[in-house]
Amino acid sequence: MADNYVLHLYIAGRTPAAERAIENLKELLKEASGEAAAYELKVIDILENPQLAEDQRILATPVVIKQLPPPVRRVVGDLSEQEKVLVGLDLKGDAP
Amino acid sequence: MAQEEKPADPEVLPGQAAQPRPDAGTTPTGIAGLDFVLEGGLPRGQPTLMRGGPGTGKTAIALTFLCRGLARGEPGVLVTFDEGPEALIRHAESLGFPLGEHIDAGQARVLDMRPSRADLVAGEIVELTAVLARLGHALDQLDAHLLVIDAIDGMEESFDAQTGLRAELTRVFDWIRERDATTVITSGEQTDFSRRYGLEEYIADCVILLSQEIEHRRMTRLLRILKRRGGGHGTNEFPFLLDEEGIFIAPVTGTRLEGGAPTDRHSTGVSGLDAMMGGAGPYRGSALMLSGQSGTGKTTFAAAFADAACRAGDQVLYLSFEEATKEILRNQRAAGIDLLEHLAEEGGSGRLIFHPLLAVQLGWEAHLLRVMRSVQTSQPDIVILDPASALADRHSVQYGKEMLLRLFYMLKREGVTAFATELLPDYSDGMSTMDVSSIVDTWIKLRRDERGGQLHRLLNVVKARGLPTSERIQEFYIRKDGIHVQEGP
Repeated sequence: MADNYVLHLYIAGRTPAAERAIENLKELLKEASGEAAAYELKVIDILENPQLAEDQRILATPVVIKQLPPPVRRVVGDLSEQEKVLVGLDLKGDAP
Repeated sequence: MAQEEKPADPEVLPGQAAQPRPDAGTTPTGIAGLDFVLEGGLPRGQPTLMRGGPGTGKTAIALTFLCRGLARGEPGVLVTFDEGPEALIRHAESLGFPLGEHIDAGQARVLDMRPSRADLVAGEIVELTAVLARLGHALDQLDAHLLVIDAIDGMEESFDAQTGLRAELTRVFDWIRERDATTVITSGEQTDFSRRYGLEEYIADCVILLSQEIEHRRMTRLLRILKRRGGGHGTNEFPFLLDEEGIFIAPVTGTRLEGGAPTDRHSTGVSGLDAMMGGAGPYRGSALMLSGQSGTGKTTFAAAFADAACRAGDQVLYLSFEEATKEILRNQRAAGIDLLEHLAEEGGSGRLIFHPLLAVQLGWEAHLLRVMRSVQTSQPDIVILDPASALADRHSVQYGKEMLLRLFYMLKREGVTAFATELLPDYSDGMSTMDVSSIVDTWIKLRRDERGGQLHRLLNVVKARGLPTSERIQEFYIRKDGIHVQEGP
């Protein structure tokens, strides 16, 4: 079984940047790990749950946090720069 | 039921609505001198920017504002962009505020907004909504209207090269106003952050500048109000103290009645000296100076005065600039003056408080402030400055004079009797180097005479405003039972 990626994307309301980040992230996850890869992507709106932003010490949004597999990695922005996101989340080359 | 007629709202002209109302009120900083300078305190519900280089006291003042609010029962939120929460709590505790206890009691909260260096930025758009969401959440949960944001310039680290930061910051400040949170935001100087992002020009409602001045290797802290929207402010620089006793800023308001010319008099504690001034010592609330060379017995006169005043029921603050408390007690006991019975720490009446001020690293402003603070704290009837000439070091005799003037003025305003001793150098030929005769009401001179193989101590009253004064120069002795002035010719 392939690695199980658990990714949390924190947004602050459905802003254009948030929408773009969701699209960009889905796109690159598909490309990086192929259709078969298992990943869990959860989108969390901090306006609905500000305590989570506090717990994760989030300053800027959108931000994606890779919870699993370790190590935990965070990338901020609308994730339009694919290469940087892949390196930042340590996803590259981990595809099965 | 008849409908009550509502009075019409006063007409609001377009463009005026956004102006802060002049009666919008203030929130005290809890620092008496600063509230005085700010005419009540910080603009309520508005952001105040406190700017200054490292070590100028920004964080200490901001923490004092927060913790004094907490002590009043007002909940508050502290946000940090630089120091860790634990370090800030320790900082507050070093100033004497139990911030940790307030946090445990759910009255205060610290939000850690230090940038995470591990965060990588990919893509252009970054929004600060998360900062506001966390702030708003904490303020809501505590129902708080006090907010401190420490080291906002640390934010730049997380949002480097973000062209939108200025607009986002404007949003943060506008949001603070909407939240009705009285806010102190501190910012460092080295990155020029506040100027580049226009915090000062149009974002903050009140701007306080802190700085340090070093002269003769002695440091003075200074505070200046650069801007105060919707309120007056002094334009001067105000020196302030920041030490283990917290923050102290002059001016401080006088708590007692001004003016008045009391007619009752103290005893000097030396009956022969009282006799030279018509049977009693200086008027209550007046200033007396006792000048003399080394070894003439100035401190013994000061101790005798303190002893007599305590016996008469007055509160005495003894500021010693050269001798430690124990030395004075020991030395004066040898002259028959036992001050122990007036000291609370020795089980005595507590009418006498000794305050040694021996620190030589302080600038003269800081020294003056420490004296003023001692007076404010212990509210004495009499202040003894022994020797006051220590305030004027060899670098700055002029400063010393100015300082004594200010001090005597303050004591007079507060109705406190001042008793100062002045050490005259041996080469002075009896001339006062302080040149303060115009500000003292009573001036007594002591001298040594070494003729005929014997030391004679001599005393005369140079002037005593409003008192009958002996013109004689009289000899006096210091014995095991006190000071004796030789009577008659």
